[in-house]
Amino acid sequence: MLSRVAGNLFWMSRYIERAENVARLLDAGRRMNTLPTSAEARAAEWSSIVIAAGCSQTFPEPLEQANARSVAEHLIFDRENASSIRSCFHQARENARAVRQAITADVWDAANQAWFEMRTKSSATVLGGEFAQLLDWTKTQGHRFRGAIDDTLLRDPGYHFIRVGQYVERLDATMRLLDVKYHVLLPADEHVGGLIDEVQWLQILRAANSSTAYRHVYRAPVKPDLVVHFLVLNALSPRSLRHSAGMILRHLDLLKSMTGASHDCHSRIYALLGRLEDESVDDIFAHGLHEWLTERIEENHRLANAIADAYGFGQRQPEPVVPAEPGAEVCEAADAAAADASAPGAKMQGQNQG
Amino acid sequence: MYSEMHQQGAVRPEYDDLARWIEEIGVDTLLARRAEAEALFRRVGITFAVYGEGGDPDRLIPFDIVPRVFSASEWDRIERGSIQRARALNAFLADVYGAGEIFAAGRVPRRPVFENEAYQPAMQGITPPAGVFGHIIGVDLVRCGPDEFYVLEDNCRTPSGISYVLENREVMSRMFPQLFATGQVRPVDGYPEMLARAMEEVAPPACTGAPQLAILTPGHFNSAYYEHSFLADQMGVDLVEGQDLFTSDGLLWRRTIRGAERVDVLYRRIDDDFLDPRAFRPDSMLGVPGIMDVYRNGGVTLVNAPGTGVADDKSIYVHVPEMIRFYLGEEPIIPNVPTYRCAEADDCTYVLENLADLVVKEVHGSGGYGMIIGPKSTAAEREAYAARIRANPSGFIAQPTLELSTSPTLSENGLVERHVDLRPFVISGREVRLIPGGLTRVALREGSLVVNSSQGGGVKDTWVLNP
Repeated sequence: MLSRVAGNLFWMSRYIERAENVARLLDAGRRMNTLPTSAEARAAEWSSIVIAAGCSQTFPEPLEQANARSVAEHLIFDRENASSIRSCFHQARENARAVRQAITADVWDAANQAWFEMRTKSSATVLGGEFAQLLDWTKTQGHRFRGAIDDTLLRDPGYHFIRVGQYVERLDATMRLLDVKYHVLLPADEHVGGLIDEVQWLQILRAANSSTAYRHVYRAPVKPDLVVHFLVLNALSPRSLRHSAGMILRHLDLLKSMTGASHDCHSRIYALLGRLEDESVDDIFAHGLHEWLTERIEENHRLANAIADAYGFGQRQPEPVVPAEPGAEVCEAADAAAADASAPGAKMQGQNQG
Repeated sequence: MYSEMHQQGAVRPEYDDLARWIEEIGVDTLLARRAEAEALFRRVGITFAVYGEGGDPDRLIPFDIVPRVFSASEWDRIERGSIQRARALNAFLADVYGAGEIFAAGRVPRRPVFENEAYQPAMQGITPPAGVFGHIIGVDLVRCGPDEFYVLEDNCRTPSGISYVLENREVMSRMFPQLFATGQVRPVDGYPEMLARAMEEVAPPACTGAPQLAILTPGHFNSAYYEHSFLADQMGVDLVEGQDLFTSDGLLWRRTIRGAERVDVLYRRIDDDFLDPRAFRPDSMLGVPGIMDVYRNGGVTLVNAPGTGVADDKSIYVHVPEMIRFYLGEEPIIPNVPTYRCAEADDCTYVLENLADLVVKEVHGSGGYGMIIGPKSTAAEREAYAARIRANPSGFIAQPTLELSTSPTLSENGLVERHVDLRPFVISGREVRLIPGGLTRVALREGSLVVNSSQGGGVKDTWVLNP
């Protein structure tokens, strides 16, 4: 498989997942917007959504003035924002188009139609009352896309790059979603552990589509430590960090056996999963949830770069290494990479990241 | 005007089934199903962007739902004529870049060949595997009567359109399975396998194991990208861009997730000029530095070879019948359209005097651009064109305005007769082969003779019937 194709598949998958996660964040915002709170706290809720989406740099207005309308506009429709739902569907479709022959007609249909339908949506109708519908529609696109992948793709390396991309993105999104709580203010007369605090945690669970699952698993009211346990450490939850990291490891391991080479990204994912298996919620709270999440977000980012470098689609294009014997398997070839920003493939990542 | 379906009020036998079907289904239903077909095409992403026109990059080539039909005996002649033409063109290319016997014998003049922009000095002295230069040659045919076929032009560079041939059939057989149930229509889906086999047959000397094939595309912004990826998919080979390839140790390699892997035979869908910045255009970002050296030394086979454009230039076209006689010792099975070369003084005078009856084309033009159709032009247009001819006579050729055959075509007002042409794709490896079918292009505007997709032409499914 061509390195460029692997990169396109990885990013196609990330963008679909990202669109869905942005929709989940907005859904969290929509739900919090229905709770009683102060004006100041209300603005902080919306700005927390922008921060969690990683869009505080591109948000066109002062963050403290963020409101439902401006946040939805920026996170759904803004073409200048590479993480807006519109941009995500566009980039997913462009990545799919660039590797049309590496995916099935069903997967292409899913990516293509998501984009064509997205183009027909207007901010007037969405902000005029079809907000929740659009978020549901976005999630449905993700379901359809993953279903097509699961049901139709060969289990060749391309499939595993798609899965790795999906879970790297989800890992990132779940952490950002949890971090929303850090940025949200409690009303002055409320206290940590109080009713509003608890309801805010519930909204985060809901945005992760996990509130019912949480009750099934814990049979307990919403409590911060259990929410964190569920979304971070509990392998049962498909949106937990533990689950995502486990899936990344599984697919990277399969890539290792398919390509016959182990890379830096493999040691990184073993380390990350090891931490998620060993640590407890108490450890995390003792460290500070926000600080802990920030460190993991960076760790995940370095993992993504290591994956791209290992398979030749990263910023640092590996020097071509020719096998001594034609046809012989090249092990560790990409590892021997030296930084070469002028290599032809170097511009690709930039395009993908928009 | 020759209608391929109707003759003296009666339906020709090969169109019998089709006519009955149209009668049964009715025009309204056909119109509704055409919309369905369009949705199918858009879903598979088979789109075509026209250079320089801007607009929607996802424009579809209009698909006409009424197939065009050839009987077995008609096809037999088209097949033999196209193969003959491809063999002569390949012999000519081997001669141009080899011994030059046809020039020594005085049968074709040297000047239009060696002064041609498409002539590649870098190819001189190179003999590709099996002596094949043009592995895929598109022969554009028109018909003016029951047995009256002409070759309108040859396409020896990177002829496109095969994906439409296969997708048109796919859509037709999906929407109207009953039309194919009798088993009379010969299948066209053997093309990818046929091409892969031909490419394997021309593996370079340096290739020792099973030849590794790839298709080189300029990228997904190219108007023919769909076709590139469609073929790669159907053939099960990598679709590579210039950035995926590099040369080393006299071989061509592609960057993969396992490191470097070989490419032995490369079907390149980029123009000669962009192929190798070291050999041709230094500013090309699409090609592979050093690939011409690898090619010259037998490390890779390029499909088609560079420099094949010299054989499909309109100034060379007039000599193809002579090539057939010279190299094959045969008479052309399908003749050329009578052609006047404005480079010749007598021809030029004739052309200028008869502009109102002729079609005049630029020698190096393609895609239906820069031409004038005498009978459909105004006096002012003819005057302006005549001035261009006088300024550079050797840049133009002229042909009589052919009454192209027509085929029934669906319009909002029912079935109408529209002019068509045909492009069969001839594949040359160690053997020369052809699938039973080709690209039928149809001029959708009433009376129009220009079928080029870049000028608003459409496409049809093309049927070849069993004997």
